[in-house]
Formats: sequence, structure tokens, C-alpha cells
Amino acid sequence: MAAQPAVELEPRGSALAEEIVALFDQWREPLLRYLASLGLPIPDGEEIVQEVFLALFQHLRRGGGRANLRGWVFRVAHNLGLKRRRRQPRAASVEWSWLCDPAPGPEEQCLKNETDRRVQAVLRALPEQDRRCLILRAEGLRYREIAGALAMSLGAVSMSLARSLARMARAAER
Amino acid sequence: MRDDHLSDQELVLAADGELSFHRERHLAGCPSCRARRLELEDAAALLKRYGGSLPAASPARARLRLQLAEMAEQPAAGPFSPGAWRMALASGLALIGAWALLTFHPVQRARAFEVPSPRLTPGAARTVDREALCNSALPKNQVAPAGLRERVFQAYGIAHPDPAKYEVDYLITPALGGADDIRNLWPQPYLSTVWNARVKDELEDRLRDLVCGGRLDLAEAQRDISTDWIAAYKKYFQTDQPVR
Repeated sequence: MAAQPAVELEPRGSALAEEIVALFDQWREPLLRYLASLGLPIPDGEEIVQEVFLALFQHLRRGGGRANLRGWVFRVAHNLGLKRRRRQPRAASVEWSWLCDPAPGPEEQCLKNETDRRVQAVLRALPEQDRRCLILRAEGLRYREIAGALAMSLGAVSMSLARSLARMARAAER
Repeated sequence: MRDDHLSDQELVLAADGELSFHRERHLAGCPSCRARRLELEDAAALLKRYGGSLPAASPARARLRLQLAEMAEQPAAGPFSPGAWRMALASGLALIGAWALLTFHPVQRARAFEVPSPRLTPGAARTVDREALCNSALPKNQVAPAGLRERVFQAYGIAHPDPAKYEVDYLITPALGGADDIRNLWPQPYLSTVWNARVKDELEDRLRDLVCGGRLDLAEAQRDISTDWIAAYKKYFQTDQPVR
């Protein structure tokens, strides 16, 4: 049996609120990982994710567009994340842990072979926007969603990814 | 012909089904393009998601539910509110809307909020002394309550605020004793302009350093930043343009 909501919502807003909570369950972790890749600590990411879904509620309640909703959500998170990052020192090394395997363990274990080390060196050398494209792709976003999230054109996203993947392929070959 | 082969960009697009039928057909029949596509897919497979452990979702979900319940109780904001005056106002609002569309290009409109309206956002501060403020942990990018943000957008006539374009920001930052008060909040555009949020952050940091270093009176810092933050920036950085 499904758990009851902690609070009874008003009938008109309740269906939308439930939809928002369902989307929260679906997208919270990818959003937290993306915000961590921007250098934000997880507690800060949690606050931003809350803001994002409250904004989504307001957006949909006013009849805002549903096209590319995931791109919209990541774009709001991206803007809020950068805003917060400007106001605090960059967290150490969070940005690179997304390369690791999901299995727990020190980061060094993630770089378990020479290929991983070479690929990481390539990633470090990429322009920030190229890395963001890669991170969002690794989170399963479609190109049009990445374009929406980072305010880029579809062509710019595909060009960025093609460039980065070609470098990674060369690094993996060596 | 070599020219017919797909570029890396096209091969990347193929993964999302963004290729034209003609190019898809070439890919299906070309061993060379398919081999290159595999190379790029292998490279993409090297990417793994962030591997650190994340906290359980349940506390954050419960908090979201509570805030959604609070927002759901408030009427949805929009250009009109229900009531007998609605139709009478409609034509007037339409005229104003047409005038605004003709007058305010989006960039001009965003620039209009580089500084807040002195009438709507004169600034408001909490009662706090310098020592207490400077000894407290710096409030990190405090976010105004959702209901308050909604009222700010309404006050500024932004009927459909896009969170991707605007942020409701404090005029007097909480780090200088600014209050959670509608008189201290305004919609600041993300759109990149010379005098943007980043520049204001620099001013806030400078003022706090001066206040906490005993070189500037707290009330004077609050007054300067709330009267005209751009003028305050020029005064405290002794420059006519942002330093970075």
C-alpha cells in the first residue's frame, strides 16, 4: 500500500503536487550529482533541488509549457547552482568523483587502471561547458534536454560531445 | 566517397535519433561509419555517474510536500484574479501589455531591474549589532521564503516569472543584517549585464569585510547598499566599472 502524504493538500493543487513529488523522486539524484559536479556540497544541492521543484510547481500551475521539462528543471538548477557557487569557496575535488564506479571506496580505487587515469586527464583539460555536456549525458539526458539545460543549441551540444568523445577515444587507445 | 561518411557530430546525433533518413541509411550501410560510431560509444561508456553516497530522499521529500501544501493553499498568481472587476480590468491590462511589449525589449526589461525600485524595495534590516553579526556564521546565499518571492514578482508586475531568468535577491544581504521582508527583495535578472548579481556579491563581501574589520559603520553600509548599490560599488571599489 502506498504511503499517505504527510499533509492533506487542497484538491486543485494536490494532483499537481503529487506529480511534482513523483518528478522529485525521479530527478532528485541526477540533479544532486550534477550540482555536486559544479562543486557544491550535497546539503547545498538539497536546498537547491527543493527550490527547483517549488519553482516547477509554480511554473506548471500557471500553465507553463511542458515541452522539455527535464531540460527546464536542470536549467533552473544550473542557474541556482552557479549563483550559490559564486558565494562560497569551491568544494575540494567533488567535481571529479563522478568518474568513479558506484561501488563505495576511496576515489583512488576508482582510477583503477591506466585508461581511467588518461580519461580523467582528458576530462580535466576540457572546457567547463564541454564537461557539463558530458556530465548531463552521463545522467541520461537527451541532447535536446542538455541544450535546454545549458541554453545551447542542439548543434552546439552535439559538436561539444563529439569533440569530447573523440578526445576520450584517443586517450583510451593509447 | 569519403565526403559521404558521417562526421563525429552526426554520429553523436545518431544516438538520439536526430539524423535525417538519408544519413541514417548511409550509416546502416557503411561499415566504416559504424566502426567509428562504436569507438565513440565505447568512449561514452567510460563515463560513469557520480559515485558518492547520497542521503536518503525521505526527509527532503517530506519537506517538499509541506512546502507544496503551503503553496497549494495560496491562489495561483496570474495576470488576473477572480472577481467582478476582472473583465473591467482586462481591457486596460491588455493596453498596458501592448505598450510594455512595444516599449521593453527583453534586455531592456532585464536591465530595468539591475537596480530595484526605491518605492517597492527601499531595503529593510533586522535589529542586530555589528559584533553579533560578525561573530555569527555567514548566511550562505539565503533564499527568501517561497510565498514572499511570489509577492515580489507580483509587486514588480512579472506575471509569469521564469526561474531560469530571474532570482529574487536581497537588497541588503542577510550577511549585513538584511531582513526577510518584501521591502528588501527584488527580482534580479540572471541575464548577463555589466552590473549583475556577481558584481553585487563582490560589493557585499567588501562591505562585510569593512564592517567586521571596524572600518565602516554597519548602518552606513546598509544605507549605502540600499540607496544605490551600483553607486556604492563605485564608491567602495573606487572604480566606474566592475573590477573583474
